[in-house]
Order: sequence, then structure tokens, then C-alpha cells
Amino acid sequence: MEVCRLPLSATQRGKLISAGYTSLSSLSSASASDLARDLKISDGEALEILNVASRSSRSDNAEGSHAIINGGVPGIGKTQLGIQLAVNVQIPPHCGGLGGRAIYIDTEGSFMVERALQVAEACIEDMSEYSRFLRKDLQTFQVGLQSKDILENIYYFRVCSYTEQIALVNYLDKFITEHRDVKIVIIDSITFHFRQDFDDLALRTRVLSGMALKLMKVAKNFSLAVVLLNQVTTKHTEGSFQLGLALGDSWSHSCTNRVILYWNGNERCAYIDKSPSLRSASAPYSVTSRGIRNSTSNYKRVKMM
Amino acid sequence: MAESENGAIEITGGSVRHFGLQFPIFLCFQRHFHRTRAHLREIERDRQHQPWLNGLQLLEDAQQNKHVLSTGFKGIDKLLEGGLREGQLTELVGPSSSGKTQLCLRVAANVAIQHKGRVIFLDTGNSFSPRRIEHFVRQISGSVFNEKVMSNILCHSTFDIFSMFDVLHQLENSLKSQGHKGDCKARTLIVDSISSLITPILGGSGPQGHALMTSAGFLLKKLAHELNIAVLVTNHMVAGEGGNLKPALGESWKSIPHVRLLLSRDQGNKTCSISILKHPSLASGEVARFVIDD
Repeated sequence: MEVCRLPLSATQRGKLISAGYTSLSSLSSASASDLARDLKISDGEALEILNVASRSSRSDNAEGSHAIINGGVPGIGKTQLGIQLAVNVQIPPHCGGLGGRAIYIDTEGSFMVERALQVAEACIEDMSEYSRFLRKDLQTFQVGLQSKDILENIYYFRVCSYTEQIALVNYLDKFITEHRDVKIVIIDSITFHFRQDFDDLALRTRVLSGMALKLMKVAKNFSLAVVLLNQVTTKHTEGSFQLGLALGDSWSHSCTNRVILYWNGNERCAYIDKSPSLRSASAPYSVTSRGIRNSTSNYKRVKMM
Repeated sequence: MAESENGAIEITGGSVRHFGLQFPIFLCFQRHFHRTRAHLREIERDRQHQPWLNGLQLLEDAQQNKHVLSTGFKGIDKLLEGGLREGQLTELVGPSSSGKTQLCLRVAANVAIQHKGRVIFLDTGNSFSPRRIEHFVRQISGSVFNEKVMSNILCHSTFDIFSMFDVLHQLENSLKSQGHKGDCKARTLIVDSISSLITPILGGSGPQGHALMTSAGFLLKKLAHELNIAVLVTNHMVAGEGGNLKPALGESWKSIPHVRLLLSRDQGNKTCSISILKHPSLASGEVARFVIDD
């Protein structure tokens, strides 16, 4: 994203561009004092500009009111991604996050609380290091969030059958009306209960497309992100095996964006397969003990996904 | 009346039996026809049905009111001999991620700029992207940001078929009462995608799903004809026989749109191809290619 698209005043933008800061990456590697010196502005103003820049780069990743479907082979890290998202949505606004709560709907039982605690603690450490780095000229700032608060802000639902899943999706509207600060709904995984024991395929299509519409409505009305995690299957077409999304083509039509997680050699990659406004691109990532991180190993600033 | 009717038929019926000539039957039909026409005129007066039009009136209407809207893609315009026609329901069918939404957004931008018309976009999957519209507007009009153009593209989110009926009826009333206001005349209605609204209700134990689907189709065609707008809807594809894909919504839907276009995207490419599945005046099977750039 370019500097000229940041929500700053025209004079600030002009100063940034004439000083040579044209892209967001150049801003992210600058410190507040460097910026103040280059632009001949006060420290406080430089800090504001950096905050705006980091906020807009992060909010690009979690636009509200879209339903995103992540498809991937087992072991690629879908549940890890889900846990990371549930933690990241709670990053407070002054650190560049949304400061909201998360709803996690678990159909497979793959949510591990200990792992969520680990990711939450790593997130808090990163946040305090980040804010210390930003405000190193000013007093050290205490991040007013503890790991148990983060766990408290994840509303966890466990569904054990497809009827429970349908009932829960119908109930979401009422639930979110009562808990307005929910900013993300993660369903892991949406198709699990529909793949086995469902004889009537036509009924399955009807039920799933109805569920997709309800989730779209929730996403739109409450301006939140709905993330659906899905598995891939092998399709046998004309003698060759192809990987396709579980539950077929009518289900892939029902979501707004689609991100495919796949193995590229030894590396995990994410690829945007369908999006109304973003172009097709792929990015590598890795699953570490601290959560999902960029896979570039040499970076000085901790980048949160 | 009825007795004399029967009497007339009986007499001529007798003639037919005995003489087997066509002349008496013709008399009978003519008398019956006159009676029916008088009866129909009565109904028309009583219930104010639409008066019937003759061929000349229809031709005049087609030439004056039903214009052809260019889509903005030369290849597609050439394929469709002009573009989308007002008064017709065009269906865009294609597999997932083949460019249906992008094409709809581009058509919306083009109609708003080139034809200076209002576009109504019914979005069922939160895929309307103002950013993309802005990009297309800049691309078409050459990087001059036009607020008036952007304000002529109206987007409404609907998530079930009944609210779509609501929106369409409201639209009908407001557009009919507005009349023709020059620049701000509505020219295109886009429903992306209508199959998401119909799939949850189609099939099952009752015929309500089919009834709702055909009513939706007829309402869209009625709006197209009466308000002189081009209606564009998108449909997805499902697995058919032999592992091939076929358009969703089944056999009954096939006869409803006037024009059906099949969209597909080459693997890993930005080139899309579009072909005619059904058209009232063009041959099917022709293919055109186009590119939607970033």
C-alpha cells in the first residue's frame, strides 16, 4: 500500500513523499526520531504517522464483512492459523489491532487451550517489544492485557453433529447482538460433519448454501470477518487425481474470498485463489512455537500477521 | 347465449358429420371467434389487463426504448453484436473464480460512465468491491475521479430470496413513479449471484422452490421489459454427468433467461473466454476472449 493512500493530512503526505518515504516498507523500518529529523516535525507527530501506517497495514489483513475460506491439506496449519487469528483480533487499537473478541466454533475438537495460551503469551511479548521500540524516546508503555484476558475473550463453541452446527449458526445472530465486540468468527472446520453420514446430497447442498448465506448476513450486519477452515479432497477426473475443496463446486461458490494453504517443497505457503479486490498472490509462512510468523528468518522488527 | 352457442355448434356439427366439409366448421369458428373477442374486450375493460400490441408497435418499442449497452469489452461486444440488450435477462454462468463478479463490476462501471445510466447491484455474497469499481472507473474514464459516476452505482445486499423480491418490488414502484429523468435513468440491474439465493430452497419435498425460482425469473424479465433495463444475473456450476460441470439451478431455469453466456478462465492466466449457450437471435457456440487486468 502506498503512502499516498494513508489517511494523513495532505501536508504530512507531501512531506513524507518529498523526504523519500514513498512506500509502507520504508516507513516500517524508520524510527520516530529519524522520521522527525527527516520531516522536520515534532516527535509526537512522527509517532502518529507511524501509528497510522502500522494500523493501515494490519487492517488490510482483516477487512470486515467478508467470508474467507481457507482450504488445505491436513497438517498445513489451518487450526494454528485459526488460533492465531483468534488471538490477533484482540490486539488493542493503540498497537494497531482491532481490539475485539473472537468466536471459535470447533467441530473436530482440534482446538488446544495450551497452544492458545502459548500463542497469547508470545503475542503479548511481541506487543510490549513493539511498543517499547516505537516509543523508545518516550516512557516505556505497559501493554494492559494479560494472557488470561486473551483467553477469556475467545468464545469457544464445540459442536458434535451437523444439527448442532446448524443450530449454532442460526443462534449466532442473537449471540453477536448481545456481544457486540466480536470481530471475528472462526469455524474449524465447516465441512467436517457433512462429509460422512449424510446420505441425501441434495439436502446437504441446500443446508450448506443456506448456512453460507446466514454467515454472509452476519458478516455484513455486524461488520466482522468470518473465516471458514476447510479440508481438501482428491478428485478423480479423466485418470488424473486433482486436489479440490471438500464438498465441491457449489460450496466454493458460497464464499467471498478463498485462500489455499499448500506445501511448496518444505515451505508452507498461502495463495489467494478467489478475491473480488485482491490479486492472486502467494506468501510463505511458518508455524513456530510463538504462532504463525513470516518465514523470512532475518528480520529485525517483529512482524505480526 | 350458451344455448344458441351450443345450437350453432350442434347444427354445424351435424353438417360436419354428414357432409365432412370445412366450410361449416369455418363458420362455426368465426362465430366463436367473434364471441370470444367481444368477451375478451369485456375482460380487458373490467380488469384493465395489458392491452395487446401488434407487431409494428413492438418493433417501434424495440427501436426506441430497448437500446444495446456496450459491455466495455470489444470482444464481448462483437460476440453479442453490440452488447447487453435492454429488456433482456442475461445469465452469466461459470465455475468458481472464473471472473463473473469482475465482469459484473466492469459492466457496472462502463454503464455508469459510457451510457450515463444508473446501475443497481444486488449483492448476495459480499463481493461488491468499491475499490475495484473505482479502479475500473479510472481505467475507463482515464484517471479522472468522478463522484457523480460512483454515486450512480447503487449496491444493496440481500441474503434470501424473499428480501430480493421485496427489493425488486420496491424498485419497480420507485422507478415507475420516477419516470424518465434523463441522466439518472436506471439502465442495468445486476444480481450477483442469483444462484446463491435459489440453491437453499430448490429441491426438497415441495414445489415451492421451483415456483419461487420461476417467479423470480419472470419478475426480472418483467422489470427488464417494462422499465427498459438490461438485467444481468450470475449462476455457478455444479458437477454433472461424467465429471463435467453443468450450470446450477437445473432444467427449469434453462428456459428463463433470454441470453445465457458461459464463462471460463484459463489455468493460471488472466485471460477469460466467454461463449454463447443460448441467444434469441445469435448462433450459439461462438467464443470470445478478454482480459480483466488488475
